[in-house]
Amino acid sequence: MEIKVASRLDRRTFLTGAAGAALIVNAAIPRVSFAQAKVVKIGFLAPLTGAVAAWGKPGLDGCQIWGDWANEAGGIDVGGEKHKVEFVAYDDEYDAGKARTGASQLVQEDGVKFIMMLGGDPWPGVEAIAQREGMLVSTLLPSDLTPETTTLVAPCEVHPIYNVTGVEWLAEKRPELKTAVICAQDDALGKPSVATYLAAFEAAGIEVQGDPLFFDPATTDFAPVMTQLLSGNPDILCLDTCYADYVAPLCEQAFQQGYKGQIISCTLDFYGRIVERTSKEFMEGVVFQFPDFDDPALNDPKVNFKRPNEFYAEYVKRYGATEWSAVSWEYASIMDLWADAAQRAGSVEPEAVLAAMKEGGTGKHIFGDAKWWGKELFGIDNALVGDWPVVVIRDGKAKIEEFRSIPAWWEKHSALLIKHMTALDQMWDQRT
Amino acid sequence: MSALLIQTTINAAYAASYMALIAVGLVLIFGVMGVINFAHGELYMVGAYAVVTLYAGANMPFAVAVAAGLVFVGCLGLIMEWGLFRPLRENPLGGLIASIGFLLILQSLAVLAFGLRAQNVPPISKERLVVGGAVLTYERLLVIVVTLVLLSALWLFLRRTRFGWALRAVSQDREAAALQGISINQTARLAMFIGAALAGVAGALTAPLVAPTPLMGHSVIVTAFIIIIVGGIGSLEGAVIAAILYAFVHTFVTTLYDGVIANIVGLLLMLAVLIVMPNGMFGAKERA
Repeated sequence: MEIKVASRLDRRTFLTGAAGAALIVNAAIPRVSFAQAKVVKIGFLAPLTGAVAAWGKPGLDGCQIWGDWANEAGGIDVGGEKHKVEFVAYDDEYDAGKARTGASQLVQEDGVKFIMMLGGDPWPGVEAIAQREGMLVSTLLPSDLTPETTTLVAPCEVHPIYNVTGVEWLAEKRPELKTAVICAQDDALGKPSVATYLAAFEAAGIEVQGDPLFFDPATTDFAPVMTQLLSGNPDILCLDTCYADYVAPLCEQAFQQGYKGQIISCTLDFYGRIVERTSKEFMEGVVFQFPDFDDPALNDPKVNFKRPNEFYAEYVKRYGATEWSAVSWEYASIMDLWADAAQRAGSVEPEAVLAAMKEGGTGKHIFGDAKWWGKELFGIDNALVGDWPVVVIRDGKAKIEEFRSIPAWWEKHSALLIKHMTALDQMWDQRT
Repeated sequence: MSALLIQTTINAAYAASYMALIAVGLVLIFGVMGVINFAHGELYMVGAYAVVTLYAGANMPFAVAVAAGLVFVGCLGLIMEWGLFRPLRENPLGGLIASIGFLLILQSLAVLAFGLRAQNVPPISKERLVVGGAVLTYERLLVIVVTLVLLSALWLFLRRTRFGWALRAVSQDREAAALQGISINQTARLAMFIGAALAGVAGALTAPLVAPTPLMGHSVIVTAFIIIIVGGIGSLEGAVIAAILYAFVHTFVTTLYDGVIANIVGLLLMLAVLIVMPNGMFGAKERA
């Protein structure tokens, strides 16, 4: 006898069953919270290409990590609602005209609530838009501040004022160094930094040989520049705030022309390559102002940056250690400040966030508690100033030697800095 | 002071070397084809990126990368001759404009392929000679030596070979040369290959010394034009001597004052020569 098993799994039955199973499964999966979170857009208006890209693109990369971490945690809580953070980037190519176009697009088309900039030469292109729209903008260069820039803040980097810490530290540790030469490109980054180094050297009793050398930004062969700089056999070679693309060949030329003295620079981006092109011995002891974030000194409780070592590890994993620059963490630290202010304000609107940021005249700067400062130098107290690290190359690696106080230096030597800023037309009332 | 003088002389000799290669290439192209190649600076850039790709990227020996750059850029010159300058042979202005377009294409391709960031090319050597308290690195010495070799070889080629005589004949009088049975197309191809290759090898040799970028051709083409104007448009010997003169003036002024003043002095030098010698130092009477 044949037994037939009735198997009436026809197509209709199969499809009906599959649909039912899908509904059950879908109901069982928790809803992704992002789908319900609001989105706050943050503008990133900085050079992503060109000679100054080293102070823009790595910062955007760092912000992406910050954003991913914030969003993985559900977003930032503002006014009882979760907000996913989305960065909208625009390459201003360090040009005022392009920055103006970018700012218009970010504000009017993208609806951003906050714009982060490098600042400097592009800022004049954005100023009118920021004022008109009441847009909160951050800059890494407090030298952009004037009494009119009420919505512009410098909450992280206090370029070029922090350069005084490196010179002060150097003068104490190496009192035998008596002479220095300075070089820089002739622009909004180079000039105020030159004024600062002049003041810092004078305060430390170090003689600057000759006038600072402002070289043509189109220079590609730095041999004649370095020959001139080294002609007086200076104890200190100061590279000021030269772009990354200039610091490397300048260091290489100093090495090739047999310089044996001390080098100090504001930044030393991609220093690993410079060490490769010169030597560990040559680069030993070079002083600058920007740490690697795997430095254990950043685990100090006074440092206001979440998980700095993990941030560095994630950055290296995503982009490579050779891509870490001075700004890789800066814009992310500004986001910490912004998010904190937005949460306290209960709003992402620029005016409310700015008021919360500046409440009480103090703030949590990345390197410790700081105060909103700057009226004497910039005409407005919109720079958050406190401590800044002095970083030195040790055995081919950047190491934080000390945190130094910028306000403490200012209290002793403010007249010098104002004198040199005025002489180079860098005071807020001299800049057009 | 003597160390400063020697160091500045060494710096100037290096600058004169690679600028002479570029300027001679430009003069050769103009002399034979009667066209100003505005894309010549970009040929220099392509030579640099050949080294970026092969030496820095693929770990090939530097000499191989330079040789490959020379050949590649020379072939690029052949493409330019066939595609741009030959169809516009009777229209030099059209050829000039076409070369500007090609310049932009080369820059854009370089940006697409490599981005705008300056490239890091590892040094081929960190060794150096010390000469009277001044320093000459082996890298810079190589540029000087290779330039001397190449320009000497070019001189011999132009003076001692039939192809060289043909080049000189066409540059002096194209119609007469054609009547003598010299192939204008073949001569133009040869001039374009050699001229482009010289620019390419200059870029390849200097790649470890400058950080190559897609826009690096801009500054050298301006300097090259100043040099060929001062030397005399169409004069190879004039281009070499003018390159030496310009490089020494520019380097010494940069060292004693600064680079911006050096640029101004360079332009004033060009104006002064044109006022006194409107055809340049060796122009018109002496041609390639």
